[in-house]
Amino acid sequence: MASRLFIRRRDGRIEVRLNDAGRAWARNVLSQVVAAERDPDHQWHASLHSPIDPSVDADSPLSTLARENETTTNAELALACIDEQFLTSSEAWAWLTSLQVALRSIAVSRGVLSDERLAQADEELAGEIGTLQLLLFSLAECL
Amino acid sequence: MGVAAPAKRAKTDAEVEVVSRHETQTQRPWNVVVWNDPVTPMSVVVVIFRKVFGYSSNKCTQLMMTVHHEGRAIVWSGQRERAESYCVKLQVAGLSATIEHDE
Repeated sequence: MASRLFIRRRDGRIEVRLNDAGRAWARNVLSQVVAAERDPDHQWHASLHSPIDPSVDADSPLSTLARENETTTNAELALACIDEQFLTSSEAWAWLTSLQVALRSIAVSRGVLSDERLAQADEELAGEIGTLQLLLFSLAECL
Repeated sequence: MGVAAPAKRAKTDAEVEVVSRHETQTQRPWNVVVWNDPVTPMSVVVVIFRKVFGYSSNKCTQLMMTVHHEGRAIVWSGQRERAESYCVKLQVAGLSATIEHDE
């Protein structure tokens, strides 16, 4: 993957500089977000359903439904434009939020909840987290 | 149903003042709290705060640094419905966020 993976062009569009392997990797991650939202047995499902108000037993169904809809919509939009060379700001926002959801889900599901646990992560997990962080750094510079 | 309702009388100014002071005291705001995590890039947190709340870059950076150093930050306070809505937006953006009643 190139050093700058996303570049804001003068016309406002965001150029995606991922090669085919990078896009395939991102497609797989985004698909996992959609799958996790729908499948209660998915290892990321719990992190997508964290409490809104921890002081009550159950959150408002309207709020949890809104969260479910927005999370899925963002991930599906990002998937729909995964092969595009240029993104609008809205599409780039969908990429950023969905990749960030994936990053947090990986961390929660693998117990990476502190700097110490992150330092102890195995090579595969550290690589996965590092790649997502690289994509997010580059996207955040454009938004 | 044979008991007649007692006749109502107008509240005095003093009673009205007591009632309004009591209401002011019980309307505590709800806080939106963002929690630190070891993996989220700082620049991503700033972008999300700016997009969700429309805060200035300086304020977003200050809030992000508070989360980073203190483990959490109150990023918005107000009515419960709006606090819940902002919390959902932050969670959809992948941040660890909750709401709490102000103490």
